[in-house]
Amino acid sequence: MRLDTEFMWETFLDVLHGVPVTLKLTIITLLVSAPIAFFMALSRSGEGRIGRRIITAYVSFIRGTPVVLQILFLYSLLPTALNYLIKVLLGLDFNIFNINPIVYAYTVFILNTMAVLSEVFRSALSTVNHGQMEAALSIGLTKRQAYLRIIIPQALTAALPNICNTAVSLLKSTSLAFMMTVKDITAIAKIDASFGYNYLEAYLVIFFVYILLCTLVQLVFHVLERNVASYKKLITA
Amino acid sequence: MRPFHPLFIFEVLPQLVPYLLVTAGIVIGTVFFGGLLGLVLATAKIRRGKIGTALANIYIYVTRCVPSIVLLFIVYYGLPEFLLMFGIDINNAGKGFFVITTFSILFAANMSEVFRSSYEAVDRGQREAAVSIGLTEFQAFRRIVLPQCIRVAIPNFTNTLISLMKEGSLAYTIGLIDIMGKGQLIIGQNQGSYSLEVYLALFILYWILTIMIEKGFGAIERNLSKGKKLVASI
Amino acid sequence: MLEVKNVQKSFGANQVLKGVDLKVEKGDIIVILGPSGSGKTTFLRCLNFLERADQGSMDFEDIHTELKSASKATVNKVRKKTAFVFQNYNLFQNKTALENVMEGLVIARKVPKKEAEEIAKKALDKVGLSDRYDYYPSQLSGGQQQRVGIARAIAVNPEVLLFDEPTSALDPELIGEVLAVMKKLAEEGATMIVVTHEMSFAQEVATKVIFMDGGVVVEEGSAEDIFTHPKEERTSQFLHRVLRDYDYVI
Repeated sequence: MRLDTEFMWETFLDVLHGVPVTLKLTIITLLVSAPIAFFMALSRSGEGRIGRRIITAYVSFIRGTPVVLQILFLYSLLPTALNYLIKVLLGLDFNIFNINPIVYAYTVFILNTMAVLSEVFRSALSTVNHGQMEAALSIGLTKRQAYLRIIIPQALTAALPNICNTAVSLLKSTSLAFMMTVKDITAIAKIDASFGYNYLEAYLVIFFVYILLCTLVQLVFHVLERNVASYKKLITA
Repeated sequence: MRPFHPLFIFEVLPQLVPYLLVTAGIVIGTVFFGGLLGLVLATAKIRRGKIGTALANIYIYVTRCVPSIVLLFIVYYGLPEFLLMFGIDINNAGKGFFVITTFSILFAANMSEVFRSSYEAVDRGQREAAVSIGLTEFQAFRRIVLPQCIRVAIPNFTNTLISLMKEGSLAYTIGLIDIMGKGQLIIGQNQGSYSLEVYLALFILYWILTIMIEKGFGAIERNLSKGKKLVASI
Repeated sequence: MLEVKNVQKSFGANQVLKGVDLKVEKGDIIVILGPSGSGKTTFLRCLNFLERADQGSMDFEDIHTELKSASKATVNKVRKKTAFVFQNYNLFQNKTALENVMEGLVIARKVPKKEAEEIAKKALDKVGLSDRYDYYPSQLSGGQQQRVGIARAIAVNPEVLLFDEPTSALDPELIGEVLAVMKKLAEEGATMIVVTHEMSFAQEVATKVIFMDGGVVVEEGSAEDIFTHPKEERTSQFLHRVLRDYDYVI
């Protein structure tokens, strides 16, 4: 077995151009999903029964089906559906097929990640002792203040390790974005490989690139955990 | 926009169902081989030997970081050449072989955590109490420690099984015909015109499978946790 | 009937037992006292091979063995002649009270199930839990759990009962019920070795009191000897300190 190391180096340099795309997909997806997920988590523990049912079913559906299937489905549905909506219903002259495919990727990953994160937040909220809310209300905080100042900071600390896990699996899922013609690192490696059938080399390269990116994500969360959890450290100090 | 035929979903479903066996075969094969590898990893960590623990940790770290599809392609394109160096020819091996190999490598880490956490969750005193009334070590393990381990392991195991089943759907990318692969074939036969219906049929199948796994193992867990469940009711 | 000589045990560089001897006759109630870290629990665990002693020998009726090199078969034989009551009960979490007590009978001693059930029920009745057969450990209070632990130990009809601080994990108000059961067993002629901090129990029940400190037996004698006129300075210091702190009446 011989590996074409020159090809691997060139591929590595090529793939670096895809790193921003992969990171952007991961970070923006997380930032957009998080607030939505948080309200999903709150309303699941709240009173509205119908809303709760719908959210529960949605979360169960997203978590019960493969990401790749979600991608294939939305990618074959969205462009034609949007086209129909804009051209026929709204009568606008706008070519939907000019939309950057990364928009579809964001849509799929956000729809997926907000379901996963809502579960993370839900279990984190449940770890915060009920007495914390009562104590906050008893000293005259409003419910909103209690959440913002007391409950959420504690829940966030509890949730960070799981948010990190979600981020790592999201990063890995973005490797499927090539199915929507997004030029992320996997897509670039695939294109490079197809010229000379150097698939093994190309995938070995991104194997290492993913390990690097994954390490980066975990380092970021490590730093976050240190900062957010500073109130916990004081107890042991 | 081309017309949508909801009824086609129900035409497709019976065509997909036989391929559930392939999907299940991949999951079961992976649980077996990944479980064996996971057992090795878990043992290395439980023993707390410095080198063993370090190697196991590196293994778990790396496999956690790699997307399934990347490893699947590496195994599919690389393993035959790699093994050929040792004179082993697997170029004629079925697609299933590559899929099970890939996911065994990936899910060994999950399986090792299932084993380790459940082993460590059971108090050491349980074994001591068992041998103190005259049970042999083996009897103590089989009758007292193991049942408790299994109960603790079930939630983790269920999650592993579900994510394995979902990740397994990527096997179609190397041409394996499981339910996903069959769905792609059907779409191809119809020149892509029934893709939404086929995908919806697949959604239904996967969703039902997930719910069945959750409910099934949930029932087993409830059955096994007789000793725990009533805590709140006193 | 049971005699161990020169029991030694180290954990790493820390020698916990520095040669302990003990002789037990049938019907003896031996109470081992001593500050924490004195090695008394380790000594008790060595008797049941829950810890492997580094040195020492054991004569137990027809068994004669070195503690360090005892074979599996010998270990099992000793374990079948003894029973252990743990500080933190160690009830099998996945089994009911009745099943906990039956386990050793059915599995280790091959007693037929029906017979085992009768014996187990009798044992549970004896410790006052006739209304708790089908409760799981998590449904029982600490005192009740420990009484199941005792029932589990006496059900196998051991020659010697070993108690490792059976009340020290219990809330004060629950200690009495466990000590009462132990006292009853003593009155019925059971042979017991008890590691405890319950001075009142030692004073009232013990046929012999052993005071351990620093891995050796400092002093031994009748309860009266030890409590009213201890010979050793260390013993009287310990008693002085402890009798002030612990004062429960059964």
